[in-house]
Amino acid sequence: MIAYNKTDLENSWIQQDAKDACLKECITKEENKNIKAQYPTGLYTPNIFIRIGLFLATVVVGIFSLGLISLIMASSLSEETFGGISIFFALVCYGCLELIVKEKKHFGAGVDEALMWMAGGLMLTGFLLLSDGNFDNVALYVLVFLLGGFFALRFLDSLMAVVSFIGLLSVLFYITYKLGPIAKLIMPFVVMIASLLVYLAVTRLSKKATNRPYFNCLNLVSIASLVTLYIGGNYFVVREVGNEMFGMQLTPEDSIPGAFIFWTFTAIIPIIYIIMGIRKKDSILIRTGLVLVGAIVFTVRYYHSIMPIEGAMTIGGILMIGLAYGVIQYLKQPKHGFTYEEEQTEEGAIQLESLVIAQTMSATPQRDESFKFGGGTGGGGGASDSY
Amino acid sequence: MNVQLFEKLSEEGLISPGSLQKVKTPGLFSLHWELKTLLYLGVLLLSGGLGILIYKNIDTIGHQAILFAIAAVCLGCFYYAKRHKPAFSWNKTLSPNGFFDYIVLLGCLLFVTFITYMQAQYNVFGTRYGLAAFFPMIVLFFSAYYFDHIGVLSLAITNFAAWLGVSITPYHIFSQNDFSSHRLIYTGLLLGVILIAAGLLSTKRNIKQHFSFTYHNFGVHILFIALLSALFVFDATYFLWFLLLAGVATAIYFMALKNRSFYFLLITILYAYVGLSYVVVWLLLTNSSIEGIYLGLFYFIGSGIGVAVFLVNLNKKLKHHDSL
Repeated sequence: MIAYNKTDLENSWIQQDAKDACLKECITKEENKNIKAQYPTGLYTPNIFIRIGLFLATVVVGIFSLGLISLIMASSLSEETFGGISIFFALVCYGCLELIVKEKKHFGAGVDEALMWMAGGLMLTGFLLLSDGNFDNVALYVLVFLLGGFFALRFLDSLMAVVSFIGLLSVLFYITYKLGPIAKLIMPFVVMIASLLVYLAVTRLSKKATNRPYFNCLNLVSIASLVTLYIGGNYFVVREVGNEMFGMQLTPEDSIPGAFIFWTFTAIIPIIYIIMGIRKKDSILIRTGLVLVGAIVFTVRYYHSIMPIEGAMTIGGILMIGLAYGVIQYLKQPKHGFTYEEEQTEEGAIQLESLVIAQTMSATPQRDESFKFGGGTGGGGGASDSY
Repeated sequence: MNVQLFEKLSEEGLISPGSLQKVKTPGLFSLHWELKTLLYLGVLLLSGGLGILIYKNIDTIGHQAILFAIAAVCLGCFYYAKRHKPAFSWNKTLSPNGFFDYIVLLGCLLFVTFITYMQAQYNVFGTRYGLAAFFPMIVLFFSAYYFDHIGVLSLAITNFAAWLGVSITPYHIFSQNDFSSHRLIYTGLLLGVILIAAGLLSTKRNIKQHFSFTYHNFGVHILFIALLSALFVFDATYFLWFLLLAGVATAIYFMALKNRSFYFLLITILYAYVGLSYVVVWLLLTNSSIEGIYLGLFYFIGSGIGVAVFLVNLNKKLKHHDSL
């Protein structure tokens, strides 16, 4: 099933582990070099910026090739023929993908990813166009689930694994939606239970060494499932989506049935994630939980403005700085296996941080009289795993 | 970490017993980035909150108390920073802890808030608005060098640009600038050249060498954007601008190659490609024939493949020396 040579993959993991160990200063640079020489991998994974460039170049080639074919067929262009062209072109992309992986061993190299997304996207477009809009939502998302799953299984692409997971959830969502009146009562629980089951399955799978090829996919899906588990029970989402999809016609003062349950979910799930994360020393749980604390604040403030925004910001800011200061002082000597020290310094992260600061903290005095302070536009980068 | 693997590597003699021991000792769980993010959000909220607070209370008695509070916190921040800062050096200094960095940042942000408020309320700089932007800029640059803070340096650079009348924060660079204005294009060119020169000087004179990336990053982007705007706007002399763009791109390309910076190589190639494609499409579409469109499509397919091959070769050339 996996498109890559087994030895190549295994050696690339060994190299990766050795590199990590070297960055953590467990093994010396010399040893890292020897390991790299002893376990060579033929996989082609270039520098991240080259990867971005290759991705863009491949997309340009893809779009204009599609344009060229469409222009040649321009005289007989209808929805059906364009649907046919899309599917044909999707197959061409897939053929190129297989070829580039087999011949050049591209692995997370930009070209393979661009081809994968184009093949998947065009395949969906083709089906939608050929079915003349009669395509059922369930069928559409079954296709998303299958395509994403196939690419994830064969090319080990973690974003495709998440696409597949979202496809699966959407299938369940639309099946439930078709159940009629009962749907709006059980929908949040269907989403939450499905997410929880996926999370449990995924964490169990990622403990088995034989699943090593899929560790990246599994990790990303576990983050996605934690987020959808929260979204499923969040008061704001349940109320607004329910209002939108089931035409509940709520006025701003109206509450929803079982509001108490959803308020509890909204406030408690992120806290549970953080506590579990700290106990298990699981950075995925901790970071997802911290990000979702922001969602608690947003949800509460959306319905109840306890105090004006500036007061909340000031007090919140003081509390956060105080909390961080307290923890840093507490962890001056590592306690309970936790430390404040960095595991490894990365120059890139500091540069990225400075850009985020320049963007969000506008400290530029305005020229005109109508002086407005830049409140800063949210967007706290940093807590995600894919730094 | 994967202990089994390292045991196997140790048996094969690839790592020493000492290293194996280090791998086996359970590592500490680092909360570094979590706490940093928390501090960042705290500073963002506090400086933003105080800013709005004073603005909303501008006509009441309360604003003087708030003004006083801002001044006090600001002084407190600088006092803390002054006490804990490492000895000054023109090289990179290590910050005593992560908290220090954010206190410096908070102090600088509040200082700018304070000055802006003074100008708005008491008109301390009169109608010389340039001075109102210039003064905080000097303080920001001073703080960046004095406390060795790249984040404050970025703020200082954006302030410098604002003083000249250009907005160069990553998001606003397109939304808040009107690049069809000739004045702005020339200012952008000047700004780009000054910033790149400042970066080169940092490296050459060994003045906070690690700041050069930040100068170059802002400088290269604004210079290329100004050049591309000139290419799009000045129809009559477009070919001269194209030659200038090609020259600048070549210069930065070799500079990046020398520093082995994949980042600058990529952005140079992308900007140059946009410029080249603009000129090609412009030439092909002047007589608006169907052949022109076909040729255009072939150009993009061919050049896309060309760029990809070029990037692959570039990666091969610079391999083993990854850096930003």
